[in-house]
Amino acid sequence: MAIQTNTGTDIKEAFIRAFAPEAPNGQPIAPAVKESAAAALQALQFPHKKNEAWKYTPVQPLVSKAYIPAEATEPEDISPFLIPELEADVLVYINGKFSSAHSQIQHNKQLCIESLRQLSSQGKAVVEAHFGKLLNKDDIFAALNTAYAKDGTLVYVPKGTVAAAPIHIIQLTLPGQAACSLQHRNLFVVEPLAEAKVVESFYSLSTVPSLRNAGTEIFVGENAGLEYVKLQLEQHTASQIDHTEVSQARHSRFSIFTITLNGDTVRNDLQIHLDGTETETHLMGIYLLSGKQHVDNYTQILHKQPHCYSNELYKGIVADQATAAFSGKIHVFQQAQKTNAFQSNRNILLSKSANAYTRPQLEIYADDVKCSHGATTGKLEEDAMFYLRSRGIPEKQARKMLIHAFAGEVVEQISLEAVRTYLESLIASRYE
Amino acid sequence: MLKIDQLHAAIEGKEILKGFSLEVKPGEVHAIMGPNGSGKSTLASVLAGKEDYEVTSGSVSFNGKDLLEMEPDQRAGEGLFLAFQYPVEIPGVSMVNFLRTAVNAVREYRGQEPLSAGAFLKLMKEKKHMVDLDSDLTKRSVNEGFSGGEKKRNEIFQMAMLDPKLVILDETDSGLDIDALRIVADAVNKLRNEERSFIVITHYQRLLDYIVPDHVHVLHQGKIVKSGGKELALELEEKGYDWLKEGALGV
Repeated sequence: MAIQTNTGTDIKEAFIRAFAPEAPNGQPIAPAVKESAAAALQALQFPHKKNEAWKYTPVQPLVSKAYIPAEATEPEDISPFLIPELEADVLVYINGKFSSAHSQIQHNKQLCIESLRQLSSQGKAVVEAHFGKLLNKDDIFAALNTAYAKDGTLVYVPKGTVAAAPIHIIQLTLPGQAACSLQHRNLFVVEPLAEAKVVESFYSLSTVPSLRNAGTEIFVGENAGLEYVKLQLEQHTASQIDHTEVSQARHSRFSIFTITLNGDTVRNDLQIHLDGTETETHLMGIYLLSGKQHVDNYTQILHKQPHCYSNELYKGIVADQATAAFSGKIHVFQQAQKTNAFQSNRNILLSKSANAYTRPQLEIYADDVKCSHGATTGKLEEDAMFYLRSRGIPEKQARKMLIHAFAGEVVEQISLEAVRTYLESLIASRYE
Repeated sequence: MLKIDQLHAAIEGKEILKGFSLEVKPGEVHAIMGPNGSGKSTLASVLAGKEDYEVTSGSVSFNGKDLLEMEPDQRAGEGLFLAFQYPVEIPGVSMVNFLRTAVNAVREYRGQEPLSAGAFLKLMKEKKHMVDLDSDLTKRSVNEGFSGGEKKRNEIFQMAMLDPKLVILDETDSGLDIDALRIVADAVNKLRNEERSFIVITHYQRLLDYIVPDHVHVLHQGKIVKSGGKELALELEEKGYDWLKEGALGV
């Protein structure tokens, strides 16, 4: 099927129209915020290649495709997309729209877990208080999401509540007739002393291109904890632009795992504000790329308060003609003394035409801090391969052991055993 | 058991082995000594099947099979074991997982049943004791954070686990203090029998006080320039290699 492209000055207008078939007003969630984002959108432009933040990812090919909004359809069976052995509250979205028929929320009675389209009065109050307060307003994709995303997940964990089970959000893209556009918006609010774990997995069954513009806002309250695992497992036709922005209050703990095993062009914008003292943050990522995949992880961590700890580790294996980009900005504000911030990006290139770009950016304005960053890019260790094989281990098995070990450093930090096992099997099957 | 005939091998176009020949019979211990750059480690790497080396001519037969045609893992299956001069650290691969995979891969190659978890642990305990290896080390990643001596003892431990027919010790004594040297030598001596052969590559005669060889060969410029009994090692220790070099050049 030939995919239409838009040209000329109407690209932006056509693009917005594809993501915003309805006016922002008249929607149930935060209409004032949405209208102001829609107004701001008028003045915003697509990032240019000269824009440092988008240096490694060309925007034009992504935004000039003629998309039409994905239609809502229903699959018969969502069981292939469940994670085995994961006892969770499951929310299923099909082409961006909540499917109550396939969702099951039964474990977490004390939490408020809802589709943004079907908010309770409590949910509405949470949304009014938090929606659009965090997500970058100067970014065209984030503004587009704020203005026009119609559905997504609210997770509200009340003060002092520990979630009884993890929450699993399944985002499923089903085949359409033409290149399709999708949006969703998440809002996770974890009140003081509360704890929760969220897994969000993305699948696509579509053979035509799709572009998902995703937005997630996360508020982690005082001495609260949240673990968020994002599994990007879509087809090679599916592209995604994701904005995730997090605010951490004092003494809070937050871990995010961004795992990209599939997809076409994937851009993950992650920004974390350390707004309180003595916070702990883990930013972890794995990407296994092949074909012509292009994955760009653009991360920023803003140390605004003293005594905060952040640890960032992104690891990737890049094969064929795939490209991986990683940017890690650590900004330590003047008053953020006693900051501990560590960052590492490690890449293995499996072919000569595979590419990995890595760019650490440290901006440190405090004088009593411990910050480090490191990056390596190399081949799968030939010496290690030879060592294993010299002990009788066949080549394929040795390669698998090394890849498992490489990814393992990130995988083993996921606290949910079922997710770890699932991920390990996905990674292993990738190199059969 | 092993017959190396007129072996020539090169790395990055540079010829290192220039007509190396050696025959090792079952149960024999051969020491190969020689100055730096004489080709000792190249010999070890070529025999184990390291891809960086190109064999330009000559042949190696191992138990009647063409060794040079085999993949490194097949060579291990056939019973060849190389104790590395520089054992490789492999973060994220646990010693236990590594050893179990290796032992069972080799057993499968030899047509034996895989070891049960219990039998494997028992074997590991027994062999670990033999090289006095700290129990904690087998819980760690392969060689990661091991001291120099621990790495070398770990090689001998792996040798004991894999039940090889021919062992090549590539400068296993380098960097070992006398206590560690004794442990390594004791373990090797315990494994010496009428079937199993050893090629001991070393820079120092001292190792040969503990592992007494049947034959000593001097390697220079890629081939053996002198062979003799264990007394040759003492002679080398006394006189160094210079006199041999001159002799070799004069041939």
